[in-house]
Amino acid sequence: MTKELEAPLGAGALSDELRRRQEEAGADYEVSLESLSQWQLAWRKFRRHRLALVGMGILGLFVAIAIVGPFFMPFAFDEIPDPKVITYAGNPPSLTEEPFGVHPFGETGGLQRDVFLLVVNGARTSLLIGFSSMLIGVIIGTVVGSIAGYLGGFIDNLLMRIVDVMLSLPTLFVILVVARFFKDAKDNVWSIILVFGVFSWMGVSRLVRSLFLSIREREFVEAAKAVGVRDRRIIFRHILPNAFSPIIVVATLIVAGNIIGEAFVSFLGFGVNPVNPTWGNILSNSLTYLLVGNWWWPLFPGLAIILTVLAVNFIGDGLRDAFDPRTRA
Amino acid sequence: MAKYVIRRLIQAIPVVIGITVVTYGIMLLAPGGPEQRFANNPKMSNEARLKFIKAWGLDQPIPIQYCRWMGLCDPDGEGLALLRANGVPNVFPEALGGGDNGVLHGQLGFSIDSGEPVGSRIGRAALPTAILAGFALIIWVGIALLMGVLSAVRRYSFFDQAATVFAYIGFAMPTFWLGIMLVFLFGVQLDLLPISGMIDIKAGSPAFGSEKYWPYFAEDPGRALLDIGRHLILPVTTLVVVNIAGDSRFVRASMLEALSQDYVRTAKAKGLPGRVVTFKHALRNALLPVVTNIGLEIPFLFTGAIVTETIYSWPGIGKLTIDSIRSFDYTILMGVLMITAIIVVLANLLADILYALVDPRIKY
Amino acid sequence: MTATLQGAAVRGAPPARDVLLDVRDLRTYFHVLDGTVPAVDGVSFDLKRGETLGIVGESGSGKSVTALTVMRLLDIPPAEIVEGSEIWFDGREILSLPIDEVRLIRGKDMAMIFQEPLTSLNPVFTVGDQISEQVMLHLKVKRREGLERAIESLRLVGINSPERRVKQYPHELSGGMRQRVMIAMALSCEPKLLIADEPTTALDVTIQAQILELLKLIQQRTGSALMLITHDLGVVAEMVDHVVVMYAGEIVEQGTVHEVLLEPRAPYTMGLLESIPTVEKRGGRLSAIQGVVPSPFNLPPACRFQPRCPYAWERCSSVIPALNTVASSGRLARCHLHASEGAGRLPAALEHHRRAMAVGRGVAAQSAES
Repeated sequence: MTKELEAPLGAGALSDELRRRQEEAGADYEVSLESLSQWQLAWRKFRRHRLALVGMGILGLFVAIAIVGPFFMPFAFDEIPDPKVITYAGNPPSLTEEPFGVHPFGETGGLQRDVFLLVVNGARTSLLIGFSSMLIGVIIGTVVGSIAGYLGGFIDNLLMRIVDVMLSLPTLFVILVVARFFKDAKDNVWSIILVFGVFSWMGVSRLVRSLFLSIREREFVEAAKAVGVRDRRIIFRHILPNAFSPIIVVATLIVAGNIIGEAFVSFLGFGVNPVNPTWGNILSNSLTYLLVGNWWWPLFPGLAIILTVLAVNFIGDGLRDAFDPRTRA
Repeated sequence: MAKYVIRRLIQAIPVVIGITVVTYGIMLLAPGGPEQRFANNPKMSNEARLKFIKAWGLDQPIPIQYCRWMGLCDPDGEGLALLRANGVPNVFPEALGGGDNGVLHGQLGFSIDSGEPVGSRIGRAALPTAILAGFALIIWVGIALLMGVLSAVRRYSFFDQAATVFAYIGFAMPTFWLGIMLVFLFGVQLDLLPISGMIDIKAGSPAFGSEKYWPYFAEDPGRALLDIGRHLILPVTTLVVVNIAGDSRFVRASMLEALSQDYVRTAKAKGLPGRVVTFKHALRNALLPVVTNIGLEIPFLFTGAIVTETIYSWPGIGKLTIDSIRSFDYTILMGVLMITAIIVVLANLLADILYALVDPRIKY
Repeated sequence: MTATLQGAAVRGAPPARDVLLDVRDLRTYFHVLDGTVPAVDGVSFDLKRGETLGIVGESGSGKSVTALTVMRLLDIPPAEIVEGSEIWFDGREILSLPIDEVRLIRGKDMAMIFQEPLTSLNPVFTVGDQISEQVMLHLKVKRREGLERAIESLRLVGINSPERRVKQYPHELSGGMRQRVMIAMALSCEPKLLIADEPTTALDVTIQAQILELLKLIQQRTGSALMLITHDLGVVAEMVDHVVVMYAGEIVEQGTVHEVLLEPRAPYTMGLLESIPTVEKRGGRLSAIQGVVPSPFNLPPACRFQPRCPYAWERCSSVIPALNTVASSGRLARCHLHASEGAGRLPAALEHHRRAMAVGRGVAAQSAES
């Protein structure tokens, strides 16, 4: 706009004056806009969100512990070194060698295992279950939602009825029942992941479907079609990128929910076989010993769960704000 | 309005049918199907076992099994047998000449463990759960509303910040863990509150709901109520904390949204006092999405009840569920699943109706 | 929430009896994340009983904020009404009143109608409820009478079958009718001052005319003063006695409607009027004021219009222009051209403006250079 400046003003002196001043002023005339892509904008906003960064930190810490933790531990979680003092209820946390030995989180009752080791080892499986089941759920949900939203009509109706049925079932109940079927298998981590995944996709599918419905009607899709762009391309280039942000936010909720869900199912004894510790199955049996005073056994794994879920929730909040076009970068 | 309700009920039918299919399907998946369990159950006589197999059609192909279980097919007939020998569709009530088997006739079978009819077993467990869930619902909704509205009105105040911290932590807490910790704190350490069951056996109270209980209750209602009340405190707290945490944030957000609307500015411009503006104009609008949300969350009370009843040995449907899962008591499980799923459908319907009633913009 | 202004110790004297609203050196600043926005920066005007004042400006000029400040409808943080501002209404200085007393005035002696009638009405209450609530509050009547008065005010604003309408919800009415309801609501307690913030902007053109007619009629009947805020010069021409032109938070011109619209003396106003396409300008280029409204965080050092002004010179970027009296009249324009230092340049500028008004800028340029 500054460039095309023909002399619109009458008297020559005035127009020269104006032109000169505009050239001098330059940037004062226009607000210069940095043009950022949606992702860059989101990253900027995310960075400002202090809680989300804290969440990333905590989660990162736990992931690191999960991956390398067990290697740094003096002994495996299921080795039982001679307990210094044999007690029925397990020994409380102690940082000194005497009298109980170094057990920062104490010992469990019964087998007197070291709780700290259990928590560190449990991180791996718990996090694995949380994230993998989320991935499964998101993939199924996206596929189902895309098909329903894009094709519409009878298929849409059918799929959504199925979603309604699945949502009407008390999820935890059904998960428990199905998980029970796999309980006796030795290495049932992936069965559990599958079970949780299969029950996590409904929300995502509804979300994706509504996105498809709203975007399908928009002009730029019509324009693309008019030019002859094929359906598949429309889906991938135009519609799905818009769907990423809300899906990511929902995904964090799913992770949080599944970590807690797995913990409960394992606590009841229907979940992952104790051969693979998870924060949940560590807790099974702890109720009995709680009644004789062992508070540290349930406390620490529980705190681990709470911190992880908090972290994931913070990240989810940060992501939500980051992708919300109304918040300023 | 009536038309709307009927229409929604009709729409719910395919969903309910779907639920029955899923329920049956799950049972089919189960290792060691119903017949095997029966076969190994010493409490069942051979005669009863054969009757059971026949009634459920366990020697027939799967679609027929499903059909008989539902009560559409005549177990005395051959194959699909939708019609009885007398020509009346089996699905009709017995009084009209129809059959007497299956879910549609109220026959949910017998518990594999105890032999008790499923219906009556569930019925026995229903009252304790209803008491627990009922109190929980009132406290949950009440506190969530209070906290949410106060947080919104006094945004960024100390109360709001404290409530936010509470909400975040509460939301991240596994319900069962909270229960365990509460058991420890109040039951073991401080020994203040009872942590198991509904009534105080040591004080001489008979089991809740048993025949001896009601006369005991009538003798001194105050004592009995107090007893139940004391036992309710921890389970209800465990059950509601997570819900309150989540909902109070939702109420707050909804309230803030309402407060930022133009009509609030108009209300102020009319000279209305602040309290009227907040509680009449804004709150009424903020409640709309909250009502729906709560309606949709009622089914989660059942899920929560499973957790809570297990930890506190509360003799309700949740505990029944867990026990049945442990012992693969299919008939009970299927009965519970069906009933809770249908309650969920009804709760959703209720939420929709409530919303339509409360928002004048909805046409029905 | 709003609070009393502290220590309004140094206060001027009350205005003359026939002046209903006297705004003196009003400054309303907003404190936001990126800095402070001087939304209203030293605005003064007055309004006599029964008169109509038009406040004209584009978005961001501060006209709505002025109205909201008069009604004390701003949330005090982030807003701040700077010390030294005074607003006299009906003989009282209202910025120093406690909010409880302001509420007694709001809705009763001074009322406001807003731009978007659909969102300004509460969707869950009937129209009748919303009107009668105000009446019941201020006039202390019971429910039945409140409802009757509501029906009466609906009739007053030209809504047919008001007894039926009174039970309807806002979403059941058309846009024009909703605005009538807003007007009815504002008038229900017979206010002395009616503030209308872009009352017709959200409406169809035909409805616009009706609503403006209605406002005029009602004003004549009730004798209330009207403060009309708009960006539409056509509306201004029709409705008002006096005009205040605002730009970037300041008043740049003030005078009677004839003076300001027919013989504008501030460059901004001139630019506005020049950009109105008329038949005479056929064949020329559509002209607009060059440049954009400055960002409130990055205001020009002295005259805020300077970067866009065709007549500006060095003085304009170094010395802040005051509202100078334009020679031979009582009106004011914020421009150095009307001060002694600019007197020499004034005739050329006026001539340029006259030409541009006559034949459009492009043509004027061509003819000047040929």
